[in-house]
Amino acid sequence: MGSPANDVPAEQIILRWDSTASEDARVRMIFEGDRDEIDRYLHAVDQIQRSMDNTTLSEDESKKVNNTIQIAMARLEDEFRNILITNSTPIETESLTDSISSNPLTPRTSSCHSPDNNERNNKRDIEAVARISSASFTERKTYVSCRSMNSIREQDLIPQESVSDLRCIAKRMITAGYFRECVQVYGSVRKSVVDGSFKKLGVEKLSIGDIQRLEWDSLNAKIGRWIRAAKVCIRVLFASEKKLCKQIFKDLGSAAADDACFMETVKGPATQLFNFAEAISISRRSPEKLFKILDLHDSLLDLLSDIDNVFDSKPAESIRVQSTEILSRLAEAARGMLSEFENAVLREPSRVPVPGGTIHPLTRYVMNYISLISDYKITLGGLIVSNPSTGSRNSGDSPTGPEIDFSEHEEQSPLALHLIWIIAILQFNLEGKSKHYKDNSLAYLFIMNNVHYIVQKIKGSQELREMIGDHYLRTLTRIFRQAATNHQRATWIGVLHCLRDQGLHSTGSFSSGVSKSALRERFKSFNAIFDEVHRTQALWLVPDEQLREELRISILEKLIPAYRSFLGRFRNHISDNYIKYTVEDLENAVLQDLFEGYAVSQHSRRRSQ
Amino acid sequence: MPPTDNQGSFLNRISIRRNQVVYEQEVEDLEQFQKHVADRLSELFHPPEDTNSSDPPETLLSIAWFRKLLDVFLCCEAEFKAVVIMGRDANNFVKSPLDRLIPEHLDRTVKALDICTAIIHGIDLLLHWKKLAQIAVDSLQKKPIGEGDVKRAKKALNTLLSSITIDDKEKSAENHHHSTKSGASSKDHTTIGNLRSLSYSFARSWSASKQIQAMSSNLTAPRGGEPTGLVVPVYLMSSVLVFVMWAMVSAIPCQERTGLGAHLQLSKQFTWAQPMIGLQEKIGEDWKKKEKKGRSGLLDETQRLENLGLSLVEFADGFSFPVEAEKAEEVAAMVAEMAEICGRMDEGLGALQMQVRELFNRIVRSRAETLDVLDHVNKVTTPVPY
Repeated sequence: MGSPANDVPAEQIILRWDSTASEDARVRMIFEGDRDEIDRYLHAVDQIQRSMDNTTLSEDESKKVNNTIQIAMARLEDEFRNILITNSTPIETESLTDSISSNPLTPRTSSCHSPDNNERNNKRDIEAVARISSASFTERKTYVSCRSMNSIREQDLIPQESVSDLRCIAKRMITAGYFRECVQVYGSVRKSVVDGSFKKLGVEKLSIGDIQRLEWDSLNAKIGRWIRAAKVCIRVLFASEKKLCKQIFKDLGSAAADDACFMETVKGPATQLFNFAEAISISRRSPEKLFKILDLHDSLLDLLSDIDNVFDSKPAESIRVQSTEILSRLAEAARGMLSEFENAVLREPSRVPVPGGTIHPLTRYVMNYISLISDYKITLGGLIVSNPSTGSRNSGDSPTGPEIDFSEHEEQSPLALHLIWIIAILQFNLEGKSKHYKDNSLAYLFIMNNVHYIVQKIKGSQELREMIGDHYLRTLTRIFRQAATNHQRATWIGVLHCLRDQGLHSTGSFSSGVSKSALRERFKSFNAIFDEVHRTQALWLVPDEQLREELRISILEKLIPAYRSFLGRFRNHISDNYIKYTVEDLENAVLQDLFEGYAVSQHSRRRSQ
Repeated sequence: MPPTDNQGSFLNRISIRRNQVVYEQEVEDLEQFQKHVADRLSELFHPPEDTNSSDPPETLLSIAWFRKLLDVFLCCEAEFKAVVIMGRDANNFVKSPLDRLIPEHLDRTVKALDICTAIIHGIDLLLHWKKLAQIAVDSLQKKPIGEGDVKRAKKALNTLLSSITIDDKEKSAENHHHSTKSGASSKDHTTIGNLRSLSYSFARSWSASKQIQAMSSNLTAPRGGEPTGLVVPVYLMSSVLVFVMWAMVSAIPCQERTGLGAHLQLSKQFTWAQPMIGLQEKIGEDWKKKEKKGRSGLLDETQRLENLGLSLVEFADGFSFPVEAEKAEEVAAMVAEMAEICGRMDEGLGALQMQVRELFNRIVRSRAETLDVLDHVNKVTTPVPY
């Protein structure tokens, strides 16, 4: 049982290492010395410990043992602390943070749309709209498998030899009834180390007040960083600390020592970590935050089972409870933001008409937003469970919101209904905006352009199309076609009126003569009106190439036959001076100039013979 | 309103009368609310004499007293929300002066949330102190007390006392009165293992004291004569909120509390403020006294632990085996008292922590609901601009 040097009594060995008694004992550490010395000391402690249970001791001997054990425990406490300090370094973070990104774990749909760069932008700033549309979006994300951060990965925080030394010490301390001291030393050292790791991972200590004051860009970045850090903290850092506690303390004494030590170490840091997510879930709701909030929600959801795993003891309950509370608050916040968004679209107040009747920035913004929603449809679909509140806004004569009958859409999910509702609101808003155009015809063009854009966006995305459904898509198509028709009628009715038959014959029958003056007036009117239309509507814009062509052709289909037949019938009755345009001229003017958005120079127009 | 016919006038009178009744009911609700608050606070600070004597009143600023205080606050808050926010014509909220006063109140609630977080963290420190005290209790309850027990107790008590008296601002360990001179451990004692420096909930610049100051600086007593009758209740709720936060911060360790004593001023003109003012004066006094010696906070249990700790360390310094009977009895009494305090902390601190968390959740929810009401009003009253 004994080593050769066991003839030295236990008490003496312990007293030799009393750091209050000798300089040497204070300066040197037992566990940094040779293995024999360590073993000798531990044996000595064991012996003294055993003799404590001995009831046949005299009062004097009792007193000595009482004193000696305290000296031994104080010493062991110092040794314990020293081993921990010299072998504890903050966790290695570079290799970890490189292997994860802030990409979400739930699959996003991968349809990628490049922004509409080929469309010309409005030169004029539309202030209120710019406020919404300058919000930055998260980029579309594609599914990335992050093998190293999807599950718990424990690391060895302390070399194995030190671990077993620590366990030896812990065993003696706990047996002697010094459990509390042991836990406290352990907790205080490890907590500092965890704190150091937190700093390396960039986990910040921000208050709710701080977060309320942050700009969105900065907050956006912090959330991304938190998501990355949280994965490492829970799956690596805390899991490893738990493992270390088990290695050192498991099954020592009766009091679940390993759980106690673990909680002592991580309770503060874990609470600090979650406080950030909590502060985000409480902060002001604005629509542009929605997708980052969803990212945060998803990461937390993904971490939940690991959180339950790592924090499975009774004392850790408050942490589990807090994380589920945060999750539900994030969900609530997301729902609120969607609602805010719908409200913002309805109330978006800019009245300055977009020049040329082209795509309004609001339309772009909303369609982009909707596309992102469809990317996040798995998450959002789970959170959005109630239909949009269309509300009875109609008080009095003027409606304050679109009318929509959801009974036609019973098969569709609440989220899909929200999308439809958003488009309906957008449309309603655009209708209102179109009324600010002085020219009716431009108003219709504007509606045509924008609703067509909406339709194209929906058709361009399979998910969107599925969610919104063909029924509503048909409705929208009808709307823009109707707008196109209305536009044509508004513009060309006057023009075509000049080419009508009635009123040109002096006696009212075909074979009679033609009133030359009336004919002259007609041609003059036609030229003037067509000129005006040509000049004005060249500045108007139909950004979509195919739509532009269709519109032009549709115009020509009515204009050309009418003009050709008019010319045919009446050109011989009047001098050529009054005939400004050939059929070709008209065709060119319409096909080349209309809706290009450029001014037409009068000199460049050729006059055909 | 000239009636067009008999029936019209009858209906008119009914509806006017009905509005009047509703209005009177609303005014009465508001007055009841204020009365309830005044009653509850008064009971808390001056408990009635004739309660059953088996239930002694809680010592002011003890854990049990704080639990009662938070209970009272939660009741007031619930009534406030029901009577003042939810039961009202919300159009009042967007007109002066409520259009300024309610957002100010909401701003205070944000600060209150941060303070709750800091307090929850502070309670962890209290639990840590309890554990240290428990070591001393266990050692000194041995019969007879041996040298080893005394040394052990003294070590724990010294750690406890140095943690209690250390400044909220991080001072080096040498500046306090009770430093240990334990050997090998001191080389890294101040850096690693200095628990107090790790107990910051927030960034270094955050200060509990400044938060309280900001909360109370724009809290001005209303002048009265205001038609909706809502201004005083809002002022009441804000005052109670600030008071409760201030009291908690004064008692429980919290990050950065310089100058806390002066940071609350309550107006004397309202009945419900009287109990709070009395306590505010007492806390202010005590805080000033204690501030010079380090800021452990005014929690009754902490004060008593500190006093007992000092006495027991004194005993330990003069210890020689065996202890004479008279001394032993004296020490036993002190240890028993310390044991009792530990028991109370054991029982009460966990519950208090949960209560503060409940308070946190409640404030979050009320904030959200109030913001919803305000949003809704803005939506309905802002015309669609076409």
